[in-house]
Amino acid sequence: MGFFSKKQVLLACFLASPAFGQTGWGLPQLMAGLAQVKSASARFTEMKTMAVLSAPLAATGTLDYAAPDWMEKTTVTPVPERFTLDGGQITITSGQDGRTQVFSAQQNPLIGGLTEGIVDTLAGNLPALRRAYDVQFSGGPGEWQLVLRPLDPAVTRFIAWMCIRGGGNRIASIVTESANGDHSEMSIAETVTSAR
Amino acid sequence: MRANRAAVAVWLVGVAVCAAVVSRTVLRTDMAAFLPHSATLAQQALTGQASQGAASRLILVAIAGAPPPRLAALSRDLASRLRENPAFIDVANGDETSLGAVQHFVWANRYLLSGGVTADRFTVAGLRAALENDVGLLGSDMGDVVQASLPADPTGEMLTLMGQLGPGAGPAGVDGVWFSADGGRALLLAHTAAPGFDIEGQRRALAAIQAAFDRGRAVVAGAAGARLLATGPGVFAVHIQAITEADVSRLSILATAGAVCLLLFAYRSPRVLALGLLPVATGALAAVAAVSLAFGYVHGVTLGFGVTLIGESLDYAIYLFTQIGPGEPAGAAMARIWPTLRLGAATSVVGFCAMLGSRFVGFAQLGLFSIVGLITAACVTRYVLPNLVPAGFSAPGSGILARPLLAVIARRARLRWLVALAALAAGLALVTHRGGLWDGNLADLSPVPAADQALDASLRHALGVPDLRYFAVFGAGGAQPALAASEALTPALQGLAARHLIGGFDLPSLTLPSRRTQSLRQSALPGDASLRARFAQASAGLPFRPHLFEPFFAAVAAARVAPLVREADLPPPLALREESMLVSAAGGWTVLAPLRAVTDPAGVAAALAASPVHGVELVDLDHESAALLLVFQADACKLAVIGGLAILAVLAAGLRSPGRVAAIAAPLAAAVMVTAAVLTWHGAKLSIFMVVGFLLIVAVGSNYCLFFARLEHDTGRRARAAGSIVLANLCTVAAYGLMSFSRIPVLHDIGMTVAIGTFLSLVFGAVLATPARAA
Repeated sequence: MGFFSKKQVLLACFLASPAFGQTGWGLPQLMAGLAQVKSASARFTEMKTMAVLSAPLAATGTLDYAAPDWMEKTTVTPVPERFTLDGGQITITSGQDGRTQVFSAQQNPLIGGLTEGIVDTLAGNLPALRRAYDVQFSGGPGEWQLVLRPLDPAVTRFIAWMCIRGGGNRIASIVTESANGDHSEMSIAETVTSAR
Repeated sequence: MRANRAAVAVWLVGVAVCAAVVSRTVLRTDMAAFLPHSATLAQQALTGQASQGAASRLILVAIAGAPPPRLAALSRDLASRLRENPAFIDVANGDETSLGAVQHFVWANRYLLSGGVTADRFTVAGLRAALENDVGLLGSDMGDVVQASLPADPTGEMLTLMGQLGPGAGPAGVDGVWFSADGGRALLLAHTAAPGFDIEGQRRALAAIQAAFDRGRAVVAGAAGARLLATGPGVFAVHIQAITEADVSRLSILATAGAVCLLLFAYRSPRVLALGLLPVATGALAAVAAVSLAFGYVHGVTLGFGVTLIGESLDYAIYLFTQIGPGEPAGAAMARIWPTLRLGAATSVVGFCAMLGSRFVGFAQLGLFSIVGLITAACVTRYVLPNLVPAGFSAPGSGILARPLLAVIARRARLRWLVALAALAAGLALVTHRGGLWDGNLADLSPVPAADQALDASLRHALGVPDLRYFAVFGAGGAQPALAASEALTPALQGLAARHLIGGFDLPSLTLPSRRTQSLRQSALPGDASLRARFAQASAGLPFRPHLFEPFFAAVAAARVAPLVREADLPPPLALREESMLVSAAGGWTVLAPLRAVTDPAGVAAALAASPVHGVELVDLDHESAALLLVFQADACKLAVIGGLAILAVLAAGLRSPGRVAAIAAPLAAAVMVTAAVLTWHGAKLSIFMVVGFLLIVAVGSNYCLFFARLEHDTGRRARAAGSIVLANLCTVAAYGLMSFSRIPVLHDIGMTVAIGTFLSLVFGAVLATPARAA
């Protein structure tokens, strides 16, 4: 089940109320702040629980982002892999045999539905985010969280919700709950962030 | 009189016989029937593919002019309507149905189709490696995708196969359907049941697409402004035919109207006007019958183009009707002009004789068509027409027409220098023409309008449909040997891809392995008990849930006894692909394996020659068509030169005087040179069609010159003869001049060349061919 139970995470996400926040600081301000970030790099640790597995899987690696729509996830352990989102195109290169797969984010609602929410948040693109998700914001400048529930039925078949948490214009964790009960928690430690 | 009636009777019987032959004539429109006999197996297979293969059935469709969500809805609506229409084998727009049939087929037959199925793969070590790989994949971003198929396919055959058989990256999507990168066009691919050369079938398919789109547009809200764009070989064929028909009917109505006005002015008799059509009509009928008997079929190009080549025979009747003097019987006038007419017809006939020997079936057909057509027309003019001309007929209007020409003839001594100067300037212009006189660009010969070509290129690019250029080609005795050879060639091609000499390849055995290979894969699968035992050992210590892999055990057990996959089992998209690569041609099978992104053709050709499969060749389509064009051009020039020499020989035999031959040949040579200089003005290039036009200038112009050379002293006869030449020329210039307004390159080029050239022949002939004593 990972470090936290699913219910604990969900509770934490939902209970964090706007009362935390300072008056006058809300989603638009968060998005404006995030939009200032030109590029960012981070290390990540991901814990996945899956229906087919009897124990969770851990993965580690690095994340890189360049505004507005380029993102790369490089997995180092357990199996090297590189995942690149460039505009609407996703390229996955698996390290073992170097096999590359290219497809459009739109073509694959499973992966596209996840990456779109993340990259729209990173870019601070609220209109795009609201087109694809029901967005619930809570918290303040020091600590905030977004709960994204996909609107497209093609995506809701796979993804129940995502919870992105952070402080200032940095992201600290991304929790994803799949429709089939699979669950992923990615904790993120940003190493370099450069604003415009 | 009895002999004359006999001539009419023979003519009527001949017409009836020819009509009977023509009614049974087979008309062919595929280019393969027009190509040289000597074309290689690969060329024949490729041209066959171009006219009836999968590529020829492809229609690329774009929907534009509305916001993306509306376009996506229209795309779904259009695809679902077309999928219900039997005129379409396959319709893809990126939605789930597009790939569904292929995915289902590949999934059901994965253990027979996948190259990953070997005995090693199903040992404890092989299974352990596969399962460890699965754990890694589950942890990756592809994890959720892998998880769905994992219980039934832990060895990942599906992933391997879809990488091989799937559509690749595909275009970008909106709401799950294909879009252009800018989001402005929703894209679809349709394969028609009708082959590309079946223009009527293609027209119906295109109409069905438009109708389905219109119905969808009425249903989808907010899509009123949307419009449909379609391209592809079949669409081109339909457009070209529509343009040709429109041009030909519009221009020929204009040309006919012009000629009728001129001839009515000259003849003032509708009956004589109608009689004037008998030689050319009979000639065309006899020509079609002759080609049909000699070749077994008539090519569409021959039919359309042949009539243009025997247009000269319209002049025969003009010469006769216009030169009948007042009170002169038609038979007497005919006897007077026959030697000149006979020599003129003979020069044209020998000019076309050279074409008979061409390697291009098309040229040979055109040659025979012209020869038979002209001889028949000349005979009808000589033996039939004089019997049908109303007694006492004389063309009253020819005198007025002759006046300007007679003025030129009167001043010809001074004009000689002008003609010489024009010829000299033309010769200089041709010699100093930069960058070669020949148009080597195949696209310029293509009757497809440039805008259509540009749309096609942009849709192909957006849809990722490669315009294939390179193929590995080899022959085999049967389908199974061809598949086995294709399997034997696979490692060599994989090696080329690994060395980046090619970007990728396809082979028929990737879609449909040979029966032998499928059997070997079946026997590589272990029995159920053995598989379960090995699997338990292999999965020990890995974090999989117990009993997860029951679907896998069931699938392997089923695959061991499954019937082998046959070509008939392939779903439509894969069947189309297979048919395009494995072609059954006369007496054998040919494999055409497309190679993508070839970086080093010479290296690839060498590697293919060294492969274990015998006789594999690298075919470069661009090179083949360029080579074909060169041969075509060389052939056309050779035929024109031989034809020109043959005409000189006939003139020499007929005139028996070098001086008289020179008087005929000089104005023609000057006319051709000045025409060529005009056509290549400002760096323009000569097309192959213009060379045919040059031959026509000589064929038609030699008649003018022969009549000029035999102008009589008698003022009345001289005026009538000059009038007949002017009338013939005006009709020719009207017909070919209007043809030059056509959007079809063939018609435009020939029309332009002949209109300019025959007018120059008239003027130059009057100046140079008229003898000094006839002043």
